[in-house]
Amino acid sequence: MTDLMKGSYETELVLSEKVSPSSFLLTLSKPDRFIDAMPGQFVSIKIGSGTSPLLRRPYSIMDITKNSIVLLVRVVGKGSALLASRRKGDLIEIIGPLGGSHFELKNGLNAVFVAGGTGLVPLVFAARKWTKEKKPGETHLLYGAAGSDEILADLCMGDFTEVHIATIDGSRGFNGNVVEMFQDLSERGVLPEGELFSCGPVGMVKALLDSNPASFADHHTSLEAVMACGVGACRGCVVPLKSKNGIKYRSICGDGTVFRAKDIDWKRWGK
Amino acid sequence: MRNKNFYIGNTIFKNPVFLASGPAGYGIEYRGLINLEKLGAVVTKTISLMPKEGNPGTRLQETEAGLLNSVGLENVGARCFFEDKLPELLNAGAKPVVSLACEGKEEYLSLLEITSKQKKVEAVELNLSCPNVEEGGMAVGTDPKLLRWYITKAKLILGNITVLAKLTPNVENISSLAVVSERAGADGITAINTLLGMDINLESGGPVFDRVVAGLSGPAIMPVALRVVWEIAQVVRIPVIGVGGISSVEDSAKFFAAGAAAVQIGTAIFYDPGLPERIVDSLEV
Repeated sequence: MTDLMKGSYETELVLSEKVSPSSFLLTLSKPDRFIDAMPGQFVSIKIGSGTSPLLRRPYSIMDITKNSIVLLVRVVGKGSALLASRRKGDLIEIIGPLGGSHFELKNGLNAVFVAGGTGLVPLVFAARKWTKEKKPGETHLLYGAAGSDEILADLCMGDFTEVHIATIDGSRGFNGNVVEMFQDLSERGVLPEGELFSCGPVGMVKALLDSNPASFADHHTSLEAVMACGVGACRGCVVPLKSKNGIKYRSICGDGTVFRAKDIDWKRWGK
Repeated sequence: MRNKNFYIGNTIFKNPVFLASGPAGYGIEYRGLINLEKLGAVVTKTISLMPKEGNPGTRLQETEAGLLNSVGLENVGARCFFEDKLPELLNAGAKPVVSLACEGKEEYLSLLEITSKQKKVEAVELNLSCPNVEEGGMAVGTDPKLLRWYITKAKLILGNITVLAKLTPNVENISSLAVVSERAGADGITAINTLLGMDINLESGGPVFDRVVAGLSGPAIMPVALRVVWEIAQVVRIPVIGVGGISSVEDSAKFFAAGAAAVQIGTAIFYDPGLPERIVDSLEV
């Protein structure tokens, strides 16, 4: 990847579908010059024409087709609410693809994906892309949500060999959190050996790492952050990595969004 | 104001639209989004003698029409900057102005020595908002004696290199500090750096930032910056470079009208990276 590939584009909102009480699937027209993105990369969106909110908002890419870029927006504040209120035909300014690292899988390996909430997005992109490229063996998605009305995994049931759902309130699937389900499935031998990929709340990813999944060659995670520049320039969104001599910060937008989970200094991250 | 070659000190600039120090990093990160060649200059992120990891904890907090930051001068250090980053910035066709940290006196003198040996450096901007680590941590640019010392040393050691003094607005009378800067030999004054602010996290009840205070930038600070540029332009003869919240072509026109010889664009590139080039276009004859 070279950073010369990113660009600033005006796209058209082709479709905005409400897919859960708080989430919207946005389909944007893909500009001709927008190069193919990789799973874990993102676009930054200019939310309004004024100065409130001031900053663009970063959204992980869920899919790229010949003519479209697909994103998932969960309404969590002013910016996302404004974005969710945009209508078909509206013009939306994006910069992308952004991010200096992405999910990778060696040919033939199995991929186990663990997601919480909208953390699903880059994992769906990875599964779709790799399946198209005939890379993985089996692909398993483990998805956790608070209750059954926020299960975004229904958007992508066909994209994985198997989808396993956990809800905290027990209203659907496994009764518990997604990491408890991961341990349960591992113990019962349901999950294949391979590589682990995660995206979700800090607590989820840390618990997953602590659960010590020995049968997995590696565990990479895509991190979320409040960002300003989106290109690794301003050093506003950084994650501390473990280092022998002092602290080592890496920018989530420029060096990430994907990091090896065990490289992250969890004592300093997400406290 | 028109796009034409003009001098600040010994340095010739092709137009009066610069990228401000900080938001644009080393400039090269913005390739593909900003045509660096088209701008008058790119002021780099502040460089210190040794690499700096920057501040722990939250570093950004959006406010109404503004942005608080507590990045803590994270940078790769002088050696890596001059060996790796500067050549790339020059390759991109940019005219660099290197922002230098004004830290402890010994480190600062070493940084000036190293900088003076760089054949490709034509201009520097002194970041006088750096804390005075030797005496209490106030910004060095708040004390007239220290201000004079830092600028005098830069002029002495850097020889023909143009020296801009970037002043902190967190003082009682910035105009008198601008006069001190001019007398100390500064070739130009850059105003303003960020205003001090803070935010509270209502869940924890404590400050958002580990260091409590942070620097406020963005449209919210523009009226302050404009007032300061106006005041300084009345009392110095050297060029004043206006920076602070410029978000439109009209904003830049206001700074020129207030007496700025050039403008710098900072926070606005986060949401509108096309703005600096539009300002250049607006100045075409």
